[in-house]
Amino acid sequence: MPLDEARVGDTYVPPRRALADGLAIREVEMIYRRGNQTVAALSGCNLDVPAGSWVSLIGASGCGKSTLLRILSDIVKPTSGTALLGGMTPAEARAARRFALVSQSAVMLPWRKVLANVELGLEVARVGRAERRRRAEAAIEMVGLKGFERAYPSELSGGMRQRAAIARALTLKPAYLFMDEPFGALDELTRDRLNFELLRILEETKATLLLVTHSISEAIILSDTVVVMSPRPGRITHRVDVGFGHHRTPEMRDDPRFGRLESEVRHALGHSMSS
Amino acid sequence: MSRAMRIGGQIGGPVLVFAVVLALWWAVTALGWIDPLVLPSPLAVAAVFWNDAGTLAFNAGITATEAIAGLVIGNSIGLLLAILFVGSPTSRRSVLPLAMAAQAIPIVAVTPALIIGFGNGMEPKILVAIFLVFFPMLVNGMRGLRSADAEVGELLHSLSASGFQRLWMVRLPAALPYIFTALKFSACSCFVAAIVAEWVAANRGLGYLIVFESSQYRNAEVWAAVIIGTVSSMALVGVVVLIERWAMPWAFSGARHTGRLA
Repeated sequence: MPLDEARVGDTYVPPRRALADGLAIREVEMIYRRGNQTVAALSGCNLDVPAGSWVSLIGASGCGKSTLLRILSDIVKPTSGTALLGGMTPAEARAARRFALVSQSAVMLPWRKVLANVELGLEVARVGRAERRRRAEAAIEMVGLKGFERAYPSELSGGMRQRAAIARALTLKPAYLFMDEPFGALDELTRDRLNFELLRILEETKATLLLVTHSISEAIILSDTVVVMSPRPGRITHRVDVGFGHHRTPEMRDDPRFGRLESEVRHALGHSMSS
Repeated sequence: MSRAMRIGGQIGGPVLVFAVVLALWWAVTALGWIDPLVLPSPLAVAAVFWNDAGTLAFNAGITATEAIAGLVIGNSIGLLLAILFVGSPTSRRSVLPLAMAAQAIPIVAVTPALIIGFGNGMEPKILVAIFLVFFPMLVNGMRGLRSADAEVGELLHSLSASGFQRLWMVRLPAALPYIFTALKFSACSCFVAAIVAEWVAANRGLGYLIVFESSQYRNAEVWAAVIIGTVSSMALVGVVVLIERWAMPWAFSGARHTGRLA
């Protein structure tokens, strides 16, 4: 076990440098103006995600969870406040290719075969052809898409396309993996299988995960901390610590603690809706 | 059904219809229902193909050269302008009105002036063809270059792609279906442009042949020229379709992988 990493019981304790290397969101506010109306998508938002930990954002639609992800990915700029990724601004982190974003719709370029789609990030980063091929094939193997390298995205099922999108995100070895409802469009069984495959990949790559989801059980399976948000204005209302540690197995759902966590998150969600 | 039978079925239908049309054509002319000065017998036209094959081929070659040169140059200009306009709103605002005004010029009316300026050779015909094909490519190209999803744009943004990488990796491939729509349209219209321009002043080409033979009331020769013009234009469309299939294999691939993992 590395020196700066320790486990106390089943709770994940971040290594010493993790907070400096993690995500830091301070007083982030996002206000959209439509005509003379203003909508506060996010208000007074504070969140720390230690490096190597897994955090999911859950809440009703319109609570700003996707906006938070888009701020961190440098797609939109916050009205005020700061968001830092290991001390870098989102723009700096994007230029340094420190993060990867996976969205619900598994964006694929239809004219590229799976292998070329997975290589896209490396190609944009001007990585050499041989190295590109090697890393893309490794990522394809990791997500279990071996044998489909020469297929077009249109020939794949939704689950397979999402695997390819995850493989593309992994090729750049991102320190931060941002996922916006990555499995939202998939059926329950596929979603379940991909959840635990993602956990295995996260343990292998040591990436920090920030996940937006609508599913309470997915949030618990995939997180050290579940962050509950409420809409109008979008803000963080509850944090639920999931004391399961890493190296999780599907059996965790049979643990009585799992059911208790589910009801705790459900109550927090209900409370956030009525407040 | 076997592959040979399927292909036979696909080709058989059009061939049958073609044969029926030829037979009807022959029947109405042979029975004297239509004046041969309006429509000559297919046998007379076939005789022209047999006797004047060299003349027809030479003149068709001239027209095809003008048409294809106009097609290539006009579409290149149209696509380059589309790339420029999509990349720079300033250039679009300042140049697009001029391009639209140019499209509004009744080009056939200007052809005599072009002949005065550029002489009797191929240049004015190529210019007319360029004029007729560049605008459809400009409009389709602009639509195509902007057709990629916003999410693809966000993906490329999150990967820190340069403007050129976006153009090369996303915008141009996304525009290919639109580009080929414009190309198929211009594969027909560039022949029309070249032939019309040859009517005005030329000493060779299918347009010249049609004007010259009609002045001699040699109707079968005129129809032979029309048919060879039609066939050349169809062949050019066929070439464009073949290039399309080669350039966009993803659009024509069936679901070859039937295996499903998830």
